[in-house]
Amino acid sequence: MNPETKRRLRLLFSLFRPRLAALAAGFAALLAVDAMQLFIPRVIRDAVDGIAAGSADEQSLFRQGLVIAALGCGVFVCRYGWRRLILGASRQVERDLRARIFDAVLGLDAPFFHKNPPGSIVALASNDLNAVQMACGMGLVALVDAVVMTLACIGFMLAMHPFLTLIAVAPLPFLALATALLSARLHHRFAAAQKRFAELSEFCRQSFAAIRLVKAAGIEARQTRAFGRIGRSYIRDNLRLATVQGALFPFSGLMGNLCLLLVLLAGGRLVIEGAVSVGELVAFISYLFMLTWPMMAFGWVAGLFQRGMTSLSRIMKVLDSRPVMAEPSEPLPLPAMDKGVRIELSGLNLDSGPGRRLLEGIELSAGPGLLGIAGPTGAGKSLIAAVVARILPVADGCLFINGVDANRISPAAWRGLVAFVPQHSLLFADTVRANIALGRPDAGLAEIEAAARAAAIHDEIMAMPAGYETVIGERGVSLSGGQKQRLALARAILSDKPVLVMDDPLSAVDAATEQEIIANLRKIFRNRTCIVASHRFSLFEEADRVVVIERGRVTDRGSHRELAARNPWYAMVAARQAMDLKP
Amino acid sequence: MRGNFGYFEDDRPGSFSAGAIWKRILVRVRPWWKSVLLAVVLSQVVVGAGLAIPWLVKEALDRYITAAGLAPAERISGILRIAVLFCATAATGFAANFFQVVVLERCGQEIMHRLRQDLFARIISLGLPFFDRQPVGRLVTRLTNDIQNMHEMFTSVIVTLFNDILRMAAIVVILAAMNPVLAGILLLALPPLFGLTALFGRTARRLFRDIRATVAALNSFVQECASGMSVIQIFGAEDRVRSRFDELNRDNLVRNLRQIAVFAMFMPVIELFATASTAVVIWRGGSRVLEGMMSIGALAAFLHYIRLFFQPVREMSQKYSIVQSAVASAERIFLLLETTQQEPQGGGRVPRSPAGAVEFREVSFAYDGGPEVLRGFSLKIAPGETVAIVGPTGSGKTTVINLLEGFYRPGRGAILVDGVAVDELDPAWLRRFIGLVSQETLILPASLRENITLGRDIGEAALARVVEQARLGPLLSRMEKGLDTAVGIGGRVLSAGEEQLIALARALAGDPGILILDEATASIDSATESLIEEAIATTLAGRTAIVIAHRLSTVRRADRIVVMEAGRIAESGSHEDLAAAGGRYAAMLEGERLRD
Repeated sequence: MNPETKRRLRLLFSLFRPRLAALAAGFAALLAVDAMQLFIPRVIRDAVDGIAAGSADEQSLFRQGLVIAALGCGVFVCRYGWRRLILGASRQVERDLRARIFDAVLGLDAPFFHKNPPGSIVALASNDLNAVQMACGMGLVALVDAVVMTLACIGFMLAMHPFLTLIAVAPLPFLALATALLSARLHHRFAAAQKRFAELSEFCRQSFAAIRLVKAAGIEARQTRAFGRIGRSYIRDNLRLATVQGALFPFSGLMGNLCLLLVLLAGGRLVIEGAVSVGELVAFISYLFMLTWPMMAFGWVAGLFQRGMTSLSRIMKVLDSRPVMAEPSEPLPLPAMDKGVRIELSGLNLDSGPGRRLLEGIELSAGPGLLGIAGPTGAGKSLIAAVVARILPVADGCLFINGVDANRISPAAWRGLVAFVPQHSLLFADTVRANIALGRPDAGLAEIEAAARAAAIHDEIMAMPAGYETVIGERGVSLSGGQKQRLALARAILSDKPVLVMDDPLSAVDAATEQEIIANLRKIFRNRTCIVASHRFSLFEEADRVVVIERGRVTDRGSHRELAARNPWYAMVAARQAMDLKP
Repeated sequence: MRGNFGYFEDDRPGSFSAGAIWKRILVRVRPWWKSVLLAVVLSQVVVGAGLAIPWLVKEALDRYITAAGLAPAERISGILRIAVLFCATAATGFAANFFQVVVLERCGQEIMHRLRQDLFARIISLGLPFFDRQPVGRLVTRLTNDIQNMHEMFTSVIVTLFNDILRMAAIVVILAAMNPVLAGILLLALPPLFGLTALFGRTARRLFRDIRATVAALNSFVQECASGMSVIQIFGAEDRVRSRFDELNRDNLVRNLRQIAVFAMFMPVIELFATASTAVVIWRGGSRVLEGMMSIGALAAFLHYIRLFFQPVREMSQKYSIVQSAVASAERIFLLLETTQQEPQGGGRVPRSPAGAVEFREVSFAYDGGPEVLRGFSLKIAPGETVAIVGPTGSGKTTVINLLEGFYRPGRGAILVDGVAVDELDPAWLRRFIGLVSQETLILPASLRENITLGRDIGEAALARVVEQARLGPLLSRMEKGLDTAVGIGGRVLSAGEEQLIALARALAGDPGILILDEATASIDSATESLIEEAIATTLAGRTAIVIAHRLSTVRRADRIVVMEAGRIAESGSHEDLAAAGGRYAAMLEGERLRD
């Protein structure tokens, strides 16, 4: 067994351990079902033989019927038991594994999320987890059931007549093989059809979202034709799928019939020769019918386990991921901050893959007070903000707080100092109140309102259907870009941290509101260390210093006034703004 | 991600009766009646083959294997004769089964394709007021999941259900012929069996709907957290997020366990019925054999038929719930298919010499019962003039465009293009005459060329001019096959700025008499923006143009600037005049200066 498989099994065992008793009881019930089911044909055989031999009477038949009915009741109870115990345990394992995935994800940082977009994490916690659950639940049941039933049926058949048994089961391995092969192909074609289905719905979505353009361009008929083309491909994919499906299930029936035929031919001869009783032959045939399902199940289970294992290793990759910004081995305490916070970047380089340098030799120091970061789109302003917020990891000796290297401080402790307003506001499908109070769940309504007022969003919140208790997001009220930004700002203001990092915080806010917010922020800037990356120069008029970033390097620094006077790029942007003023 | 498209609407009572829905479904199926009939016949063959095999076994047992009166050689050749029949039957059953699946899938897909096409054509023909009220996601669901539900019913239920019922009926008839009393006893089991199945089908449906809801909630929560993890960590909200997740995760578990409990009861109950029937057959049937009223072979056949009889019952509850959700889907589809909120009917007129003169005369308008967005709005635009419309959000800028395009009809007043009222104009002509570039973009899954020409007959020289005007050169040089590069779904992905340039080229390719730019540069980075502004400047010359923009630097080139406020024109004049006048426009300029 290779180490990878061993690790997977160890993980599964740790998940199953709390439920071993339930599982043991479940499998005991499953075995009891199998045993009773195997016993029923014996009773039938005895009855039929008795009738044929003339030794049976109404009383003995009634007793045998009663035994069958009693066994049926036993099967009912045990079936109910294993379904609840085993399938229930598999659902609990699913729950626990999902919680482990979520825990792991909660502790990871930006490099992980860069490689694993949200959609793939959701797929992991739903589709992959589902595959694992199926393998652990129905897969395990089917495997145990199939093994027991196959062994038992073949055992009974062997006990009755070894030669007839060999003849009867000869075609069955072909059935298992064919099932495994065809179901792999089935899976493949199914995935192709699913992909086309996603294309169909994406095409609809795009057409209806841009319906004004469709109408203005008068291309309704064209769109309908294009939709028809995708629909045709979808039909083709489904027909390809249907040819496999149409072969797979009838094929197992065909194989079962082949077994039956062989038994009839060979068994018939044996009965004629007097080597086998008629009752035995009838029982033999019923065992044969019992064998068809386990044979099909082997192919199915193989596919199920394979998919479950693939999914489990994907899940383990996430469970094994470690944050790049790990807890330092000997974390230093946070430095004294009674004289304010000073953040320094020294010789900071940042690469995205080999040869692609995003930031190069960044030197800057911020605080106390406001530091502005200016520069064209894509110059690297947001990266600097993300580094200071400890979203992106840095090498040792690049980032300092009051002289202490960031990598020597616990990331959690650092984050405790920083409030962050990201470029793309991240709000949660929850109430407005909970969104603002994300960093301080204990905050009173008065404090929350004060933060909202400072971010110039209070009045708009009050105009919402349920004020601060209004639920926002997909199933609630949808907000404009400017409203989202201001809520994110209010959240940062309320969290009341010594360092405030903002990445283009007001890009979607109109000019008048922006002025109002800047006036409110003035008080906040004064006794904090603030770093603001922005396209808008209005904020920089408040700044103590502004650095200009171009193509990942600091190309200039100075006050807003100085830069406007001497930096060509800065002056050009300023002039462009001023242009609108001159009549 | 596979599967769930956020679909959990309740089965609200609609305005169709069940009969009306089935009638509509049958109308759709009728053109394919030959295929459906073939599928039914094929499945009859499957059923027949399935029933014939136990009968052949019984014949072999009774006539030859247990026939002590016959010579052994005769008995064996009899068995061989039956074996040949057996082979032929099994092979026929297999072939018929395969073709039945394929034929049914094919006609099912074709019927659903027609339905999907009709539905798409219908939706896309509806007027904008309809789209204002319908979330896009819901319309997509109609065309995808709802159609899928109907297809599933069509392929996995209708024919098989018909077959199952037929097979069960045939078994009952055979059993009755073999032994009426015994068959009668078995029939008594049917009513409770069907009652149980229907009850279970309804319960299962409710359970699955609940589970779908918790799964969707769980997934969207995970999605949200994964997108916002940096914020969660910075604000130290991990514990709260974790406990919310635990709640959702537990809800999901509880509902799954409930489903397991219900299924754990139902499936074994059906088996119990089957076993109990076997017990009765052994007791009563065995007694009949002893009395000489029945052969042993018949008893064996009886036992076999009982198993066959109960097989479809196990799946029937599943089919029942498929039919239920398919009928609910069909109702939603047909309601939409019969929606009549078409676009307002236009007239058939075309101006004698179209030059691009536009006039709004005292126009008032409100969206579907809402407040008035335009109030006595009047504006005259001369041919070749560029007019910019500015104003705060909600002042009615985009509404002006919507009315000019004829998407909506004004409440009062009139809109004239070259002296003809918009509602008298041929709408197809009007929309060819107006080129619209808006904030939203639409890239078709086709080549860049087709995305620009939209199938209009445009010569190579004209196309080259458009490419030049819209500054598509740098974009095309990045595309491996130039204008023939496939873009959109399944092709190259374009950036927002690139999509916008193509939208502009598309509008220019029609050589429109009136060009409308509605926030065309709102969501674009600065480098692309200057490229687009350059492109726009060269194309506006000599054309009637209406420009709506946030950025006043885009607007100042216009011949005339109109400042809108609360559905009326507040100011109007050149950039210089307005800036000097010290009114609203000057205030906006001041605001923008402070902002940048």
